[in-house]
Amino acid sequence: MHIVDGALSPPVLIGGAALAVAGIGIGLRRMPMEKIPAAGVLSATFFVASLVHVPVGPSSVHLILNGLAGLVLGWAAFPALFVALLLQAVFFGFGGLTVLGVNTVDIALPAVTVGMLCRAGIVRSSPRGAAIWGALGGGLAIALTSVCVALALALSGEAFIPAAKLVLVAHIPVMLIEAAITGAAVYLAQRVKPELFTAFGASTEHG
Amino acid sequence: MRRIVTTLLLTAALAAGPALPAAAHKVVAGAYAAGDQIEGEVGFSDGSMANNALVEVLAEDGSKIGETHTNPEGVFTFTPTRSIVHIFRVDLGGGHVAEVRLDVADLPAALRAPAAASAPTGPATTPAAPSAAVADRPPTPAQQAAFASALRDELRPLRREIIALKEKNDLQSVLGGIGYIVGLFGLWFFLAARRQMRKAGGH
Repeated sequence: MHIVDGALSPPVLIGGAALAVAGIGIGLRRMPMEKIPAAGVLSATFFVASLVHVPVGPSSVHLILNGLAGLVLGWAAFPALFVALLLQAVFFGFGGLTVLGVNTVDIALPAVTVGMLCRAGIVRSSPRGAAIWGALGGGLAIALTSVCVALALALSGEAFIPAAKLVLVAHIPVMLIEAAITGAAVYLAQRVKPELFTAFGASTEHG
Repeated sequence: MRRIVTTLLLTAALAAGPALPAAAHKVVAGAYAAGDQIEGEVGFSDGSMANNALVEVLAEDGSKIGETHTNPEGVFTFTPTRSIVHIFRVDLGGGHVAEVRLDVADLPAALRAPAAASAPTGPATTPAAPSAAVADRPPTPAQQAAFASALRDELRPLRREIIALKEKNDLQSVLGGIGYIVGLFGLWFFLAARRQMRKAGGH
């Protein structure tokens, strides 16, 4: 899921960096103070999730868990995921520093989208319904991320359809697993700490 | 409640099971001199090799010197003709790109000497300089070549292991990364709290 250094053309890199800076800015401004620890925990979750590998045929893909971050954090997913991606690039050599902006957008933008689409459903429903919304969000985040990655590659000259197919097909198992994990996590959170989703939604509206 | 915990544990176990051979989904490539050729390997860090992938050979300024393909084991060979920095670039699609840089000092012996534009014809007959320093009866070029090739065969698994080792993520880096995250978010929390307290004090 991480695009590496040298795969993208400079305009795409610059555009991605600009979008990432904008997203991080929005995330930092909208972040209520009491949510910062939650952002830290989800950032660490995302950081470690990339080490959880799922074998697919001869190759393997790793977990991403950006949907969960988006559901809990909303726009604040941008800074949280950016930090995790930066550390992954430095420690594990996943992706790279020049593509950091593009990777941040590829992963955080779907997270924010999923947060906007599915959080209302989670807040409204019973734990069981919330789990379904959570699973939907978890799967959707991966699908959107695949599309974003394919788009970034296509803008750099690679044919869009084969690239999208390759990325999307490789991530179908991840999509299913992430849907299950996100659903389970949301179910648990809704049972023991439902304000995780509501409190944050309310406080973002205040600014 | 207990059912949730068991479900979560089960999910965690399922997720962690395949994680044990922590292989990253990432392109790895290496290249080294082999006789008068350059040999290299391309594959994914989980062990699968790149079959019949196009390897572009570029000069330092980005101009193309030539190209070659990998065999089913992910191995490619290229015969260099110029004493310059060689950059091998492989694009396996889907954003998987790898570049290997081979400096002049790592080129095959015949090309290793500093490129002197004035003497491209002369040294062709004399074998590589390092052999002159050996004992009374230096080995013949044929013997040298045989040694070199045997040594290369012996070293190949070692090279592979080193490439694999470079891609390994050990617990220290994982814990270090988590530590950084905790520290950064703690700092952020501190700054936010200080700002809030200042605001509260100002009013």
